[in-house]
Amino acid sequence: MSTLSILQWLDTTAAPPPGGRCLQADTPVLPWSDPGPLLTELALSRCFDLGEACRSAGLDPAAGMFSPRQLVALLQAVRQQAGPDTPFVLGRAWLPGHYGLASQALRGSPDLLEALRTLCRWSGRLCPLLTPRLLIDEHELVLAWSDAGSLPPGARALVVDLHMAAVALGLSALGEAPLDWSFSFNRTRPCDLSSHAAYLGPRLHFGCQVDALRLPLAQARRPWPVSEDLRQAQAFAHRALGLGADPQALGRGFVAAVHDRLLPCLADPPGVEALAAAFGMSPATFKRRLAQHGTHYQAELDQLRAGVALYLLGPQGQGNEAVAGALGFFDRANFRRFFKRWTGGLPGVAR
Amino acid sequence: MNASDPRSAWPARAWPEPAPAARWTFAPVLGLPQFGPWLAACLTALALLFVSHGQWRDSAAWRWMDVIGEGGITLMLATWLAYLRAARRAGPVTDWLCAGLAGMVLGAGVDLLDEFWVLPKDVLWDNWLESALTPLGMLALTRGLHLWRQEQLVINRQLQQREGGWRDHRAIDPLTQLADASHMVRHLEAEAREGRAAHLFLLGLQGVDALARREGLAAADRTLRDAALLLQLHLPAAALVCRYGGDCLVVAMAPQTLADADAWRQRLVKALAEWAAIRGGTQAPADAAAVGVRAAGLAWGPGASLGAGDALLGLLERLR
Repeated sequence: MSTLSILQWLDTTAAPPPGGRCLQADTPVLPWSDPGPLLTELALSRCFDLGEACRSAGLDPAAGMFSPRQLVALLQAVRQQAGPDTPFVLGRAWLPGHYGLASQALRGSPDLLEALRTLCRWSGRLCPLLTPRLLIDEHELVLAWSDAGSLPPGARALVVDLHMAAVALGLSALGEAPLDWSFSFNRTRPCDLSSHAAYLGPRLHFGCQVDALRLPLAQARRPWPVSEDLRQAQAFAHRALGLGADPQALGRGFVAAVHDRLLPCLADPPGVEALAAAFGMSPATFKRRLAQHGTHYQAELDQLRAGVALYLLGPQGQGNEAVAGALGFFDRANFRRFFKRWTGGLPGVAR
Repeated sequence: MNASDPRSAWPARAWPEPAPAARWTFAPVLGLPQFGPWLAACLTALALLFVSHGQWRDSAAWRWMDVIGEGGITLMLATWLAYLRAARRAGPVTDWLCAGLAGMVLGAGVDLLDEFWVLPKDVLWDNWLESALTPLGMLALTRGLHLWRQEQLVINRQLQQREGGWRDHRAIDPLTQLADASHMVRHLEAEAREGRAAHLFLLGLQGVDALARREGLAAADRTLRDAALLLQLHLPAAALVCRYGGDCLVVAMAPQTLADADAWRQRLVKALAEWAAIRGGTQAPADAAAVGVRAAGLAWGPGASLGAGDALLGLLERLR
């Protein structure tokens, strides 16, 4: 029995404390006050009617709360009006943002690594559309994004670009030195790379199976210029958040919560019944809930396995046998078949 | 804001119009804002003439082919008229084009009406209307098209720096009103096919992120928008300026000697940098060099080892 597991690299200090509620894609759980001011600022600068964009997204700012799906629809409507650079312009102002305690915790971070841990821990507040996961080895860190709920295919690129820019341009700007981020995108290379290259830099990789950012660990550990006041405010914010002062920060997208349960036990994953029981639902309700998010149990399990396999084979350079064992496959042939089906290439390609 | 506030020296530049309107607004024709209702009234008057002088044709006698064909022509002409009015500003060219189409709509309308009403043999005005309205409309439309061509040549000259030899509104960036990088690549490739080379400059504004954080998105947007305008001011009319992406602008000029190219590069950087310093000075006196400028240039033409898109990516690399 192999002892290889993704948990060796998955940064568990960045995991949110248990007890957060599940954020459903269609439930109004996000306050308008989070993205509202930034979108209003963009609308004023680019002279478009944000009210009209809200209406086309089926969203009423006066209601105060809206669902993740409505936020995605709103971002799509805003891009229509504000231009193709919208994800990058919004992204670079998205983080650290003005989201109360969670932003305060980001601002006082002593270095980027700690800031990324904070981002992962309080992602319910800071980035409710995509869930970040931090993987660290001795040389580099990988920040992998996965759907918190489910994104419609047409909005995926927009939301991913926004989050990439939020980390690489917004969050990283808290430090002073430029950083050598490289970017992996789970989509085909666009015909025109100019926007990506101008905003994010030259290290762009398309056609990868995951959306992720990579950075040499030494750069993430460079200390940031943080005043004593900010540091104290950060410590206070973490304490307050840990005590549940901001329940939304503890929130977790439903699909991300499913991933949280599956990740530690990929070699022997729980079945639908066991997983449903862990969520306190009947299997039928659990399956229906997944279907509402446009997915199903096997799809999520396979996607996680493919992502983990890519990380173990690629950056970690593990052998097929060990990876097959870590993912619960009986033999290498089975694993190769699975890998080919999911990624279109053989495991050797991942290296 | 009082006069001693340095910001008052820097007026906010607003859009000429509040956003590219998705709404349909129709230009007045011949000074008539309600041209559509007037046209409808004329059609109704024609119909009344047919009603008063003619006899309703039994539906069994309708020639369906003609009804559909002539009805379709009337409908399509009316649709074109609506698109034309929604697309154009009022003026003589619009007047001629719309009057021509309106004449053709009326002519086709008369043609359609006589499918439903039979006029007595001694009535001649319907023939006259039918044979006069359509050709007159066509003549007016042709006159309009001739004027349109002249108008377009003038507008092409105005837009030369922004579009080069190719027009595709989908490539226009709504912020700077310049075309995007794909437009530049298409322009360069088209020029290369004609055997013409170009000298490319990529100009990057540095520190716009920080400006956006310090003064807001509007300040950053305005900086880029104004830089685009300023650049056009300093370039010859035959140059093409596009927004490359992010805070970078790209310029294509006629081939230059090395010394000339370097002089141009320095001139453009100086123009933008001096303006950025003034701008920074008025907005944030403590931080005068808020926005810096860097530039890189290269010659590109037929037979170049890299494609135009890759050559521009290479230039971007040199800016870092």
